[in-house]
Amino acid sequence: MKFDLSEDQALLRQSTRDFLSSQWPPERARRVMEQEPRGYTQADWQRLAEMGYLGLILPANVGGQGLGAIELAIVLEEVGRACMPGPYIDAVLAAAVLAAAGGHDALLRDIGAGKKLVTLAFEDSPFRGTRVTPTRCEGARVRGRKYFIPFAAQADALLVATPDTLWLVAKPFDVVEMPTIDPAQRFGEVTFDHAATAVGPASLLQRIDRLAAVSASAMLLGIMSRAMEMTLEYVQTRQAFKRPIGSFQALQHRLADMLLKTESTRSAVYRAAWCYDTNDADAALACAAAKAYAGDAARLVCGESIQMHGGIGFTWELDLHFYFKRAKTLEQFYGSTEVQLERALAAAGFQP
Amino acid sequence: MDLQLTEQHLKFRDELRAWLRANLLRPWRDAVRDPHATEDSLMELRRNWQRKLYAAGYLGMDWPREWGGRGATAVEGAIFEEELARADAPQILNFLGIDLLGPALIHHGSEAQRRRFIPPMLAADEIWCQGFSEPGAGSDLASLRTSALIDGDDFVLNGQKIWTTFGPWADWIFVLARTDSADRHGGISFILCKLDTPGVTVRRLRQITGESEFGEVFFEDARVPRENLVGQIGEGWRIAMTVLAYERGGASLAYATRLGRDLAHLAAACKENGRTDAATREKLGRLLVENEVMRANGIRSLANFADAKVPGPESSIEKLFWSEFDKRFRETALDILGPGGQLLRTSAEARPDVDWSREFLWSRAGTIYSGSSEIQRNIIAKRVLNLPTEGR
Repeated sequence: MKFDLSEDQALLRQSTRDFLSSQWPPERARRVMEQEPRGYTQADWQRLAEMGYLGLILPANVGGQGLGAIELAIVLEEVGRACMPGPYIDAVLAAAVLAAAGGHDALLRDIGAGKKLVTLAFEDSPFRGTRVTPTRCEGARVRGRKYFIPFAAQADALLVATPDTLWLVAKPFDVVEMPTIDPAQRFGEVTFDHAATAVGPASLLQRIDRLAAVSASAMLLGIMSRAMEMTLEYVQTRQAFKRPIGSFQALQHRLADMLLKTESTRSAVYRAAWCYDTNDADAALACAAAKAYAGDAARLVCGESIQMHGGIGFTWELDLHFYFKRAKTLEQFYGSTEVQLERALAAAGFQP
Repeated sequence: MDLQLTEQHLKFRDELRAWLRANLLRPWRDAVRDPHATEDSLMELRRNWQRKLYAAGYLGMDWPREWGGRGATAVEGAIFEEELARADAPQILNFLGIDLLGPALIHHGSEAQRRRFIPPMLAADEIWCQGFSEPGAGSDLASLRTSALIDGDDFVLNGQKIWTTFGPWADWIFVLARTDSADRHGGISFILCKLDTPGVTVRRLRQITGESEFGEVFFEDARVPRENLVGQIGEGWRIAMTVLAYERGGASLAYATRLGRDLAHLAAACKENGRTDAATREKLGRLLVENEVMRANGIRSLANFADAKVPGPESSIEKLFWSEFDKRFRETALDILGPGGQLLRTSAEARPDVDWSREFLWSRAGTIYSGSSEIQRNIIAKRVLNLPTEGR
């Protein structure tokens, strides 16, 4: 038994951190988020493909590395730390759906090589509620409207869910941008009246519930770890009342709670990833718990980080708000907290 | 990274489970509901249970065999605690001796002390209590004033200990006493004292649960032979801190098992009572999630034990988590159950599954004993985060 990463895993962490700090230093991440309408560049995407990150968990027969959820969590934690903009997690999850469906090897090969981008379109309404008109299928055409489609304007194809079936729909799409608080993300609204190919039953999406939960919570872990680091550095240098503010117990105790949240998230995320990889009986519960906890924890840690920075924490100039905003996006998508709580209860056998 | 128990650990766990099935005649929740049960009879039950475990070789898990231990590791220790929690076994009677004094003697005691004290400690023939806190020294433990002056071959003890866990039930006390009034930390020594020594008086204190698990101990010119000093003069603080780190680490897994079981009872109660509204579901869901995260913390520290990593100040994170979560858990349980959750277990209407009202009250203790939550946060801030000390 061992909680620490294996040698290979530690190497993956280090090489990913090195890669991201050279490719995505904070100034560059900020410039891309602020100025690049697409939210990332094709050159960046190619680099990720060349480094093997786009095919990280895809099988070898489509050019992937065949690695597991632990390795994916390691990479996504670093992606979160670096606040790397772009559709990385979205592309990985869509590819996982296609791989689970089977029969899409050529497309998966292109996704892994960075030649094609596919993301998931399944939100039938911008707000949560029951008054929703679902997208439907008539003949072999998908008709209706989807919201919050990640990087819809850049996607070559979308996986579109109707009540029973999951469809692959090729571009062109008429995309209405849905700008949100999170500059690292690009969401779009698309009205469909498109010819479509059936990929499989809509339940295919449930096959990636756990992977999505682990993935998003790993990013949240990276996000809160970085926010915590920035804050620890700040409270030790910022002086007030003639001493570093980090010497005040009022802050120290809250920082201790932030560390508790961060480290407990780390335990939960990597345990969930391990359960996922080993098909452990606790996998469903562990994945749902990791995501529900990480969402709350990241909001708290990033929020406290802003508070402890004071006025500068509320400025656009400081990077912290990017982390705070990413955390909110990740909390609400990839299985929101509400959804994860129900999944956890179901996994524990606590039926209403 | 590998979180799978080894074959050897699984074998240990399965044997222990089988042993518990054969030897634990009834779970603790039923024992406390016996109409004839008194505080004394329950203590005797715990003494006999401890003797059974000792005879089967399950105590002193990671202590060397030559001192009566099992010669296993902390991994088996954590599995043991988890399985006993799963089976709802009574807590052993001499847990302070075994959890705190035992490690202190093994690491800092003399050979003669180990031979003299460890066997009766394991056999529940000599029960120990912990003499750390004083009326004027709680969280600021190093300000303690109980004095131990050398006089010939004896120490002469004067002063008062309070919140002395197990004081009313113990035969011996391990005392932190001041051997040098000028040296705050270096003037404290670790001394073993028999409670029937002339000059020693024990008084019961009644706790908010109505029980008298702790008490106070007074020393008036009580003479203790010098051979009862553990370690060297002035080493008491260091020994106490090592021992407390033991007390704080590694409990998450057993807590997750215990609270997980109680949560299943709570969910069943909700179903029975038709409490299926969304607000209740959310409360249950949040408890479940937090409990699973605590379990993950426990698995992580188990894996670290197996990886031969000694728990350091980060064990304060675990203690802070389980003790604070236990309070939230018990509060929420009472909210969900409604007024019936407040019934004492003696009430005919009280639920038989969990002693909800007692657990609710008892949860207030966890964030105070063994270093309050405030002290744990200080430790995390100073020794894990390395934040600067507040100036005066």
